Amino acid sequence: MTPIQPPAVAYNTLVVAAGVASVGFAAGVVGCLALLRKRPLVGDAAAHATLLGVAGAFLASGRRDVPTLLVGALVSAVAGLVALVLVRRFTRTRDDAATAVVIGVSFGAGVAVLSGITARGLPGGAGLEQFLLGHTAALTARDALMLAAVSGLTLMLVAAAFKEAITVAFDAAFAAATGWPVTFIDVAIVCLVAVMVVAGLPAAGAVLVTALVVIPPVAARQWTDHAATLLALAGVVGLVAALMGVAVSAVAPRLPTGPLVVLAAATLCAVSFLAAPQRGWLARRSAERAMLRQWLRGAALDRVLRAEEGGAAGAAAEVIVSAAGAGSARCRRVAEGVWLELVRREELVPAAGAAGLWRLSGAGRSAALERRRRVAEWRMILESAPEAAREGLTLDIPAPEAVLDAGLVAALCSGKG
Amino acid sequence: MNATRGTGGGSPPVVEFHDVTVAYGRRPVVWNVDLTIAEPCLFGIIGPNGAGKSTLLKAALGLVPLVGGSVRFFGAPLEQVRGRIGYVPQRETVDWDFPVTAMDVVLMGTYGRLGWFRRPGAQERRTARESLERVGLADVAGRQIGRLSGGQQQRVFLARALAQQADVYLFDEPMAGIDVRSQQHIFGVLAELRAEGRLVIAVHHDLRTAAEWFDHVALVDMRLVAAGPTAAVLTPDNLRRTYAGQIEVLDELARAVARRDRTP
Repeated sequence: MTPIQPPAVAYNTLVVAAGVASVGFAAGVVGCLALLRKRPLVGDAAAHATLLGVAGAFLASGRRDVPTLLVGALVSAVAGLVALVLVRRFTRTRDDAATAVVIGVSFGAGVAVLSGITARGLPGGAGLEQFLLGHTAALTARDALMLAAVSGLTLMLVAAAFKEAITVAFDAAFAAATGWPVTFIDVAIVCLVAVMVVAGLPAAGAVLVTALVVIPPVAARQWTDHAATLLALAGVVGLVAALMGVAVSAVAPRLPTGPLVVLAAATLCAVSFLAAPQRGWLARRSAERAMLRQWLRGAALDRVLRAEEGGAAGAAAEVIVSAAGAGSARCRRVAEGVWLELVRREELVPAAGAAGLWRLSGAGRSAALERRRRVAEWRMILESAPEAAREGLTLDIPAPEAVLDAGLVAALCSGKG
Repeated sequence: MNATRGTGGGSPPVVEFHDVTVAYGRRPVVWNVDLTIAEPCLFGIIGPNGAGKSTLLKAALGLVPLVGGSVRFFGAPLEQVRGRIGYVPQRETVDWDFPVTAMDVVLMGTYGRLGWFRRPGAQERRTARESLERVGLADVAGRQIGRLSGGQQQRVFLARALAQQADVYLFDEPMAGIDVRSQQHIFGVLAELRAEGRLVIAVHHDLRTAAEWFDHVALVDMRLVAAGPTAAVLTPDNLRRTYAGQIEVLDELARAVARRDRTP
């Protein structure tokens, strides 16, 4: 042994990191297929069933060799999925209840056998709990290379059968009518999920490996509407989450890595829910609010216009606000803001000689009249081409020709004169 | 706009929609609807698919938020009169595999008056039994709801509404997908409710039967096209404005109106 010990340790850590990262990536990609096929919990059922296989493989081989244990895990994961199919087929139980039954029974059995092994103090048996919550520090470079190979193979299969998998997930009846073996493709998807769940065991553990299969696809879905991009993004999220686990394991080798992986994935998911463009909560809320403001602005202007047409000098602020926003407390708050803005932009001005009343300025009047013209046009379109109206009409009452075909609008609105 | 004003004099109208607008996201589904139903009657809300008919009912019940306008019952906001209003949702929204019997479902109608944590007693059971008898289902009271025919299922929900002993009943497509005999049975009960001085509002999309069954109708397609006495509202012009381009619907209706005109 030469004194170059530290780099050797670093080499092992790096290989483990690369292996686990590749598992995170492939698990995220495969998880997308399960999510798109509307079976997100399949991975969870497989994961909880693995424990029994890990314990069984240990008892059969008497060694704590990671590849051997994972083969056992894969066998019992597949057995768990077969049980799930049988429960669904031969009982009148809903999908989610059937999944819960399989999870409960297989996990209970796994924990029972595992604690039996620990209680008897069999040599090497103490380390088996690592498969419960994940523990990457225990991996060797050889284990990691095997995990990377499995992940690579899985990714190649997904890439090869991408078109088929997406078509079956989107429209199974069409795929069947095209002559594809839908059941075979479904089984293949589920088996790939099982494989990646098993490969994720060292990093996240049986209880939490779902974090690598379900959370990355959900997070990635917030950012994209394209299937291929979705798979790639989910892979990246899974990779980052898995690396977080490895990093923490390298610093604190005694900590289980599963919870860290979950926390990392969940953080990315939360950020996605909040901040993604279009689908994110912030974006949807601000778009909704902008639309509501435009609607209430139009309603307020129309209220004043009608008051003036009725011979009044203007309308009181309370009348303007409540006319527009009587729907709910939230509406009312927004309506108050809208009224202030109308005043600030001088579309509403104090009515001369009538304290407390507001009238339309020149700009306000033309905005109110323009809106009224658009409303009349939309009502006309609604009568002759209701589908077009439903398509184009939004709360901001856009000009019809701005959202529909201009020729169509001209024909519909002029025909009626 | 098109008010169905009665001779009621001083008492406030039973239902008043004032400038109601409802939007799902950015799109309005109900747009500036003004509708007054002054007196108890059989009132049909008619319109094509996706016209916002069900949404209008849900807006009245506070099940969807309004972006403008208000709804009042007996001159009061919904919260003050909730106990006087009964609602029967569309059949598709029900889980028919749920482990409840017809009797259990009807008994739920009495829970609103019963209040939290109190168990239904003899009086509630009597009310429920009477309601079931009224819809002709006393003999299947103990049957699980999934084992009833479509028409019977709809009648169970009608019985639940009866057990509520409300003054205003809102039905969402009560006749959809059920056999003619059940339809007639249900319609008979609705007519009884009207005779007892209750208002029945039903979303309906079969124009042929609408012309026969309802005293007053509102034609709705996002906005209110027309409302009032059935014969005055179901005119070719109004129907053309509601069912733009659906010629077969108009033909069907022309025949129905002709039939109705001949009957009296």
